[in-house]
Amino acid sequence: MRAHKKKTAPLFRALFALIGVAIFLFFVAPLLWTLSMSLKTIPEIFAPKIVLWPAVPQFGNYARVLQSTTILLNLKNSAIITVFSVALVLLLSLPSAFALSRLRFRGKTAWMFLILVFQMLSPVVVAIPLYRFFLAVGIYNKLWSLILVYVAAFSPFTVWYLKGYFDTVPAVLDEAAKLDGATRLQALLDVHIPVAAPGIASVTILLVVQCWSQFVLPLILLDDKNLLPVPVGLLSLQSTTDAITTHYLAAASLIGILPVLVCFVVFQRFIVSALTAGAVKE
Amino acid sequence: MSASPGRVREDRGLALWLLPLALLCIAVFVIPVFQILRLSFSASTLMKAGKGLSLETYSRLFSSPDFLSIMLTTLIFVVASVALQVALGFAIALYLDHGRSQGYRGMLLVRTAVLAAWAIPGVVIGVVWKMLFSELDSGLVMSLVRLVAPGARPQFLSSPVPALVSSIVANVWRGTAYSMILLYAGLMTFPRELDEAAHLDGAGALRLLFRIKLPILAPLFLICILLVTVQTFNTFDMLMALTGGGPGRSTEVLALNIYKTIFTEFDLSRGGAAAMVLLLVNLGITWVYFRFLKGRAE
Repeated sequence: MRAHKKKTAPLFRALFALIGVAIFLFFVAPLLWTLSMSLKTIPEIFAPKIVLWPAVPQFGNYARVLQSTTILLNLKNSAIITVFSVALVLLLSLPSAFALSRLRFRGKTAWMFLILVFQMLSPVVVAIPLYRFFLAVGIYNKLWSLILVYVAAFSPFTVWYLKGYFDTVPAVLDEAAKLDGATRLQALLDVHIPVAAPGIASVTILLVVQCWSQFVLPLILLDDKNLLPVPVGLLSLQSTTDAITTHYLAAASLIGILPVLVCFVVFQRFIVSALTAGAVKE
Repeated sequence: MSASPGRVREDRGLALWLLPLALLCIAVFVIPVFQILRLSFSASTLMKAGKGLSLETYSRLFSSPDFLSIMLTTLIFVVASVALQVALGFAIALYLDHGRSQGYRGMLLVRTAVLAAWAIPGVVIGVVWKMLFSELDSGLVMSLVRLVAPGARPQFLSSPVPALVSSIVANVWRGTAYSMILLYAGLMTFPRELDEAAHLDGAGALRLLFRIKLPILAPLFLICILLVTVQTFNTFDMLMALTGGGPGRSTEVLALNIYKTIFTEFDLSRGGAAAMVLLLVNLGITWVYFRFLKGRAE
């Protein structure tokens, strides 16, 4: 075991470390630059030479952004949309995935294909007819109708992913639960959900990230400035700012992604296992 | 609950569990797709539905030089993004896998940095890269370019070809994490002993990679390429914030074009026809992906 390790030349190790630093910088630099921008003064933004870090970090920029933009409201809207969407997706997808995993019926392959098509469909394609329909029946520009669309948009992936997980739960467990007189629902709640807990956890994190990032659906289905989630709110902030307020836009961007970034770093392990299992499993 | 439900009855009960989601998906996917199909064959604007059916929209669409250039832009954007994301993703996966097998420190830090990009909403990535590509003297990329070429005045976002290149760079930054983690997981399935055995044989890491690992990972590469391709075709959130499709239409990809045609030009039938093109692309890739998964399962 160790022999292999010792033979690695110091030069190679140094090179290896250097590559690591390069990768790290390429991916972190844009965020650090945004942080630096968000703390700059206007003269520093327009300086004739690059200012890597502001002489005196202007934390007041953040206070100003919190007061004069809608970013806090956008955060609240994103949180509401995300919490309700994720909860509803799980509530509907868990039984569906379980049923698809256990049922044998004709045309199941076709159904699985359809689920995959829903998952791959571009949201912009369906958002346009939905926009007209929502306007016609008077549910346009409402958070709850938007959430229902989110649920439909994210459930196919969740069902597909959870079915893969339930498929790995041996049928013996079903039989044992049945002998104990448990109903299907009890079997799902007491046996399958605990066994699939790691999968449920990972898919939940993925859903949170995707709900937070979703852009096309709220862009088309919402109009009220007070209802917009973070991505759409930031886009409208960007369109109303110019170079002179770049530092505010940078600050608002960082505030807007802070919740997902924290959630992501804390639960990174789950995301990694979710991505690795979800796509490969049939 | 009842004494002893027969298997058929029980299955019927279980099928009911699919019902709520099935109804929702029909309402949100199936009905809208048929509506957009109908719209694309009619002459409609956003506020006024047209009567009658005709192929006129499609013949106008496919003969318009604008649409052909949009398809070309889309193709360049997708092919370059996918190729670079998968290549860079695999390179980083190899790096992390090697570092892990040697027990080097810092691998988690590198992995987190790469993955963090993936958790950030596309609009924010567009906003961030627009700042990076600032054409002011104090811009970050500008300063880096001038380290190599002093006095240069590159127009990262205000000139057509550089704008497309900049968009691809930003998109690669955004999407590499996905390919990286998928291929990294594939690499982790090889037993550690394989590397050691190859080393004892004097086979060398490169031969091991090309003779054994790559052929075994080939299906995973295909899965990865298909998924990334669909995602790249479908999104335009980052481009909306980075370039807005401009300058002119130089970075206007198909999905962005659909949105603009309908919501800024109010041409519903033409947007609908373009949406059908995107839908067919989605369907085609899904079909290949599904056949492939089925083939592997059997």
